[in-house]
Amino acid sequence: MKSKESGSAAVEVHDLDPQEFLEQVHSFEFWFEAVEGYLSGLTFGFRPDTVDITLPDLDRDRLITVLCNYCVGETAALEGASGLIAIAPNRMAKIFLSTQVVDEGRHLEVLLHRLRMLGVADPEAEMERRANRSLQLFKRRLLELVSSKDWEAAIFAQNVILEALEFTVFQNHARDADPITREVLLGIVKDERRHIGFGENELGRRLKTAPHIRARLGQVKKELDHLVLDTLEETMKELNVDAGEREKLGRSYLEAAARLGLQP
Amino acid sequence: MTDPLESAEISEKPDTQRQRFVLDETGFDEVPKRFRKFYRKWRGPGDSLAANEVICPVCKVVIRSTRELRPGDRIYCMPCMSRLIVVMGETGMLEALVAY
Repeated sequence: MKSKESGSAAVEVHDLDPQEFLEQVHSFEFWFEAVEGYLSGLTFGFRPDTVDITLPDLDRDRLITVLCNYCVGETAALEGASGLIAIAPNRMAKIFLSTQVVDEGRHLEVLLHRLRMLGVADPEAEMERRANRSLQLFKRRLLELVSSKDWEAAIFAQNVILEALEFTVFQNHARDADPITREVLLGIVKDERRHIGFGENELGRRLKTAPHIRARLGQVKKELDHLVLDTLEETMKELNVDAGEREKLGRSYLEAAARLGLQP
Repeated sequence: MTDPLESAEISEKPDTQRQRFVLDETGFDEVPKRFRKFYRKWRGPGDSLAANEVICPVCKVVIRSTRELRPGDRIYCMPCMSRLIVVMGETGMLEALVAY
């Protein structure tokens, strides 16, 4: 893994100028080279030679419910991210969000494809039928924040709350999922890493210069907390995750909020 | 929220006394090729951090440097786009704080 250097001059990423780093990671070029590393060779998010297994009826039905809810979350993020481009305060944020829109569109497509593979003839109708009520309310509120052009609150709801929820749930689900669902989810998690980082860092920078925003974000958090935690609870039940583990998973988004100075 | 850049204790050791590392590829594939060796996945219980490694508090990826890390060092987590500063944690282990 590592060894002492023998004198050659290694390029050190951490020596980049801070502004150069920010320009780099927000760029379309960076996104393109990053996703090339883990998406090339995949079809609908999984390797073509990955073998699909037949799930028992009950497990298959539970998986369909869970994937329908993931599709609701991804649709919210797709509509939210695309709406946010118009109100993003600078060029870097606009370009980054354009890459996020592509990511979210891909997520929705691969999840719908997986539903079809599981025998769901009309995945979008099934989404409507099985969607969790709290998640639907969350989606509606997120899109209201976007359409009211409230940049900070919308970025908080979408890139800190929703993305952290997806990041945590998908990682956990992937551990015990069937091989194809696992590959699809792990590919999505790799994209989510950028999305949660963008949200937290963007808000962190804004709060540094405008700390008064914190109180308003605290209100948004208070309003949305129970919707997020209800959604997490219900999804984890479908996945048979025990209560102790469910509580641990709920903490991950609360940690991000705490780093931004938003108390529970 | 305190700014870690203002509160971090800065290493007084001269750079020449730091251990240097050659970084090999780790299989990490979430950033452009030229940056991949600076990151790796945390392998869970049983894994440990070397003197040139620290965990990103935002996305939990292990960040690596060609130099031994010291409190006060500024590092980057490219996978989640975070700028971080190395600090000595309460457990005596190096940790990273986000420097917004």
